Amino acid sequence: MTDYLYDGTFEGLLTCIHFHYYNGKASGIYVRNEYQPSMLQPYLEVETDTNKADIVYEAITKKISSYDLRRIYRVFKSDDAEKEKKILDYVRLGFRLGGKISMMHGNPAVFEIQRIDKKVGNEVHRLKGLIRFSELDGGVLYSSIEPDHDIVEFLAHHFCDRYKNEPFIIHDIKRSKALVAYGGDWYVTHFTKEKVSGISADEQKYRDLWKQYFEDIAIKERINPRCQKNLMPARYWKHLTEMQ
Amino acid sequence: MNGTIFDKLKILAESAKYDVSCSSSGVGRRNNGTIGSSDAAGICHTWSADGRCISLLKVLFTNNCVFNCEYCVNRRCADVPRASFEPEELAQLTIEFYRRNYIEGLFLSSAVEISPDFTAERILECLRLLRRKYGFAGYIHAKIIPGVSPELVHAIGLEADRLSVNIEMPTSKSLELFVPQKKPKEIFRPMRQITNSLIERNALKGPGSMFRGQDVNSPENYLTPGSGMLSADSRQLRENQNCSEGSEEGVKAIVRRHPRKEVFAPAGQTTQMIIGAGGETDHQILTTTENLYHTFKMKRVYYSAYVPVVSSPILPDAGTPPPLAREHRLYQADWLLRFYGFSVSELVDDAHPDLDPEVDPKVTWALRHMDQFPVEVNKAPMDMLLRIPGVGNVSARRIMRQRKVASVKYDDLRKMGVVLKRAKHFLTCSGKYYGGNRFLPEVIKEQLLEADDGVQLSMFDTADSRKAVTGNDRLSL
Ligand code: SF4
Repeated sequence: MTDYLYDGTFEGLLTCIHFHYYNGKASGIYVRNEYQPSMLQPYLEVETDTNKADIVYEAITKKISSYDLRRIYRVFKSDDAEKEKKILDYVRLGFRLGGKISMMHGNPAVFEIQRIDKKVGNEVHRLKGLIRFSELDGGVLYSSIEPDHDIVEFLAHHFCDRYKNEPFIIHDIKRSKALVAYGGDWYVTHFTKEKVSGISADEQKYRDLWKQYFEDIAIKERINPRCQKNLMPARYWKHLTEMQ
Repeated sequence: MNGTIFDKLKILAESAKYDVSCSSSGVGRRNNGTIGSSDAAGICHTWSADGRCISLLKVLFTNNCVFNCEYCVNRRCADVPRASFEPEELAQLTIEFYRRNYIEGLFLSSAVEISPDFTAERILECLRLLRRKYGFAGYIHAKIIPGVSPELVHAIGLEADRLSVNIEMPTSKSLELFVPQKKPKEIFRPMRQITNSLIERNALKGPGSMFRGQDVNSPENYLTPGSGMLSADSRQLRENQNCSEGSEEGVKAIVRRHPRKEVFAPAGQTTQMIIGAGGETDHQILTTTENLYHTFKMKRVYYSAYVPVVSSPILPDAGTPPPLAREHRLYQADWLLRFYGFSVSELVDDAHPDLDPEVDPKVTWALRHMDQFPVEVNKAPMDMLLRIPGVGNVSARRIMRQRKVASVKYDDLRKMGVVLKRAKHFLTCSGKYYGGNRFLPEVIKEQLLEADDGVQLSMFDTADSRKAVTGNDRLSL
């Protein structure tokens, strides 16, 4: 059994799955530049091959389901340390069981994928509410986030629908990337803070109004900071206007 | 009166905050304006220091009130700072908050300035600016003040996603006592109008899954002031609310059907009542609730634990803690009515007029019906699975689904989201029982209380209550 190393792309991972079937079983799959080689464990650097990736992509869609493909992709975007191996286990089981795999809640491999998928989904849902935009000089809406999972692209649909005629940027500071969108079109690109211009003339006024509103509406007879923290974990506070 | 926007927002947000309804869910509408979308799942944007989900900018349009409701901080006689928004001012504030993703929309309520119609006209102007000038397609919940003319109710309904008319008090007796200027008649007239407008558009949905499989938009559900109101349920409602409209015997419901394209309050109608101000029992409260659901097919009834903000000889003293635990139990009971096929008579009756504060109403019911338990999860029909404490709609559906491919094992249940510390006492899995060895209600209740130790005290920390209050469909009682 060999550890397969890939370039960190989804196509790279799918290529490794292809290798697992046609070049020998994988003991683990790891991102190349994060891998710690050991003396006893053989490993192989797998070159990403789009043809092989396509074959696996098609196979998952046909033999399992397109729902499961999307689910695998979301898990791939998670920060789970062993997500590659977990995806491989799920795909292997899926090839045997077909589309009903997602109903096998009792199976450990399925449960793991379900659990991680849910975590990613929860963060996406949470951020739909917790993202704060600032209006920049020139009217662009800009927001910075530091999500646990690599999810900016999963926010595209929601915010493109919300801002039909306004350009906006969602900047993942942790990963130096951003979702840039305007008029329903969007792309993800490398991005750094230097590219951000100053805030517009009215921006501070609306931030202050919001902060004041936020403080005023708490009913003091019902103050419950623990509850507040449970619902809105402190790691998100850094980017929340009302928590500054 | 002509303060800065900061002053106005302060005064008008302060006045609106003793209002529980934070739900912006219940409508799925893709963006067809220039800005905005209303997400069906309901999005929380932040949580205030009291742990409530904030998704809407909730303000009064004005607090400059000519009415004098006993429990209200803004009643005419109160000595408080007063303010009113200009329609343009509030429209702009809303759109700017919305653009920054602070909020999902606007929840606009109001005191009565000069007259109900005067106030409603200014609210309408604000909503029209928001929708038309600013192209806002986000969520709008507008409260209708009793006494507003039908034309204005209609026009506001064309701009808003959701309308509500507060019933304020659970019984007509408290209404008379505390809210002398709001007459039951004036409360029910707009409620009826809204329900009828929805039926005309074939757009009435009804609460939860209460009317699943029935056509709530059929002419029989159309409400007329006279004979149309005389179905069994509405008669009860009328008695309970003492709301006789002067009957127009023989008036037959004729439903005017409207073209689909004119959208009227697509997220339906809700209402709200204050809990713990008058002396009502849970039985009275829930009976009113059930009647509201049956008659007006409202999406939801909200309960607001009374926070003593004014001193009054007929109200609880200042400093009396708001009955939060009771409010919480009522939400749980309400949830059972809307999603679990329970009726009020199963939850409370003359012998048990109040919900048990110690355990949730689903457990209470189960403990009184031990003959129907334990339930075999591999055999029981859906409606019986739903009656097991600790099994929610989602987990019940998962059980049904898995049963088609493989039998459900005890260990699977946790993964399906079943709360076993409650459920284990009430079910068997392929014939095996996992609870204790004494299947007696008092023993099980004792064990449940032990297992829940502490949870009861900080009930507002639990996921369940959060969902019950915010309207998430996944509550498992
Ligand atoms: S109508 Fe009654 S409840 Fe509403 S603001 Fe006026 S006094 Fe208060």
